[in-house]
Amino acid sequence: MSIFFKDISKHQEISWDRLLDDLNNTRTFNPYYKSDDYYEVFKNIIVSMLLNKEIVLLDSDFTGNELLTLTGQSSFDNYSLPVDTKLTGLGNKNLLIEKLINTKDGWQVTIFTSGTTGIPKKVTHSFNSLTRFVKRSESQQNCIWGFAFNPTHIAGLQVYLQALLNGNSIIRLFGLSKEEIHQEINARQITNISATPTFYKLLFPCKEKFLSVKRVTSGGEKFNTQLAAQLKELFPAAKITNVYASTEAGTLFASENDVFVVKNEFAGLIKEEDGELLIHSSLMGYSMDMDTEWYHTNDLIELIEKYPLKFRFLSRKSEMINVGGYKVNPSEVEEVIHSIPGVKEVKVYAKSNSVLGNIVCCDIVSTTTLEETAIRLYLQTKLQEYKIPRIIKFVNALETTRTGKLKRN
Amino acid sequence: MENKILEIVNTVLENRGKKAIRKINPSMSLRNDLDMDSLDLAELTVRIEAEFDIDIFEDGIVNTVGEIYAKLNIK
Repeated sequence: MSIFFKDISKHQEISWDRLLDDLNNTRTFNPYYKSDDYYEVFKNIIVSMLLNKEIVLLDSDFTGNELLTLTGQSSFDNYSLPVDTKLTGLGNKNLLIEKLINTKDGWQVTIFTSGTTGIPKKVTHSFNSLTRFVKRSESQQNCIWGFAFNPTHIAGLQVYLQALLNGNSIIRLFGLSKEEIHQEINARQITNISATPTFYKLLFPCKEKFLSVKRVTSGGEKFNTQLAAQLKELFPAAKITNVYASTEAGTLFASENDVFVVKNEFAGLIKEEDGELLIHSSLMGYSMDMDTEWYHTNDLIELIEKYPLKFRFLSRKSEMINVGGYKVNPSEVEEVIHSIPGVKEVKVYAKSNSVLGNIVCCDIVSTTTLEETAIRLYLQTKLQEYKIPRIIKFVNALETTRTGKLKRN
Repeated sequence: MENKILEIVNTVLENRGKKAIRKINPSMSLRNDLDMDSLDLAELTVRIEAEFDIDIFEDGIVNTVGEIYAKLNIK
């Protein structure tokens, strides 16, 4: 029996036949989709493609408050549309894939990213911009993917489409324990894994070697030679690739180490300015609001060579806090904390650590005695878990710069 | 020192609305017995580093309480 998706944390194993059945029995489609069940998300993306309708993917842990800010609505339960009989008649896996490959331009997918300006950004991708790097070939057909991303984020979508359009099995690895991940790689003989450095670091230390894995891709965070060496040790048969990708532009560069060389096809479309990486608007997502020709990535790079452009990723220019690949905008968190009665001033900042890169912390100046527990309970209703400060300190005053701005470092 | 670790572990647990523990022993698994996820482990390592000036996760992942003790040279 050929597996479409397996998730041991939900005791779920879905065959391609079951997927086809479920598609044929689909009677409604909700274009605003929010679910913590990966299979449901995957299935609804297919439904949207078959219907040639836009799908808006909402993170399963968005709170009502966050949804309201992002979309103007706090619930989408009443948005379901009826599905006529068009989906029926998908006789087998190959016919389905054939149909999906011919997805028309009308289909698009919208996801959300935390914006650097404080307003979360909506990014819409077309089939073409999402599948720019999808490879389809005979040799790809036997791949078994270890799925190590959130399905509602850009990297997860790209891995999903790569696997789906080749008819591959997808095995969930994201959010599992180290032991479960090891077990799944062995039990399913996973051949391909794409993940963040944070995910890979969770797999160590490990005495085992995983010989079934042939391709390992790392992206989303800074990659270094130490991690490359550790991965080579764990996956001796794998080709290891580091990719540069962003929600707005998708995957742009790939490299075997931490140095990226811009390919000829992108010559003139990628440049460095004041240490920042700039991307030409023609490479950006389908309906990005671009008012300038060049998109400022906010990524600081070390220029190694100008022609062809060769660089190393250094850090984010902005103050975004990267918690294991998830971006937290300190201003957004500060605003929420500031709305608590008794909070006079607040500063949200990062503390680095070797587990997730950073955690969010905050200093609060209060006018009355505030209970830390009460603040935490309140924040849980307003923010996703990774955005909530892990360490809350009550201080007498916040440090400011000479110009009166909040001192961040 | 063990008491300090117990105190830090309980701060992390209680911050996430989990129940504090009374006793801690070296064989306890941070993920399985103490129910800590990556966010909890990240907080734990920051708090331990602030107290003992040692990054317990620096060269790989620590799985048990005993492994924390080993990093901090607690006999």
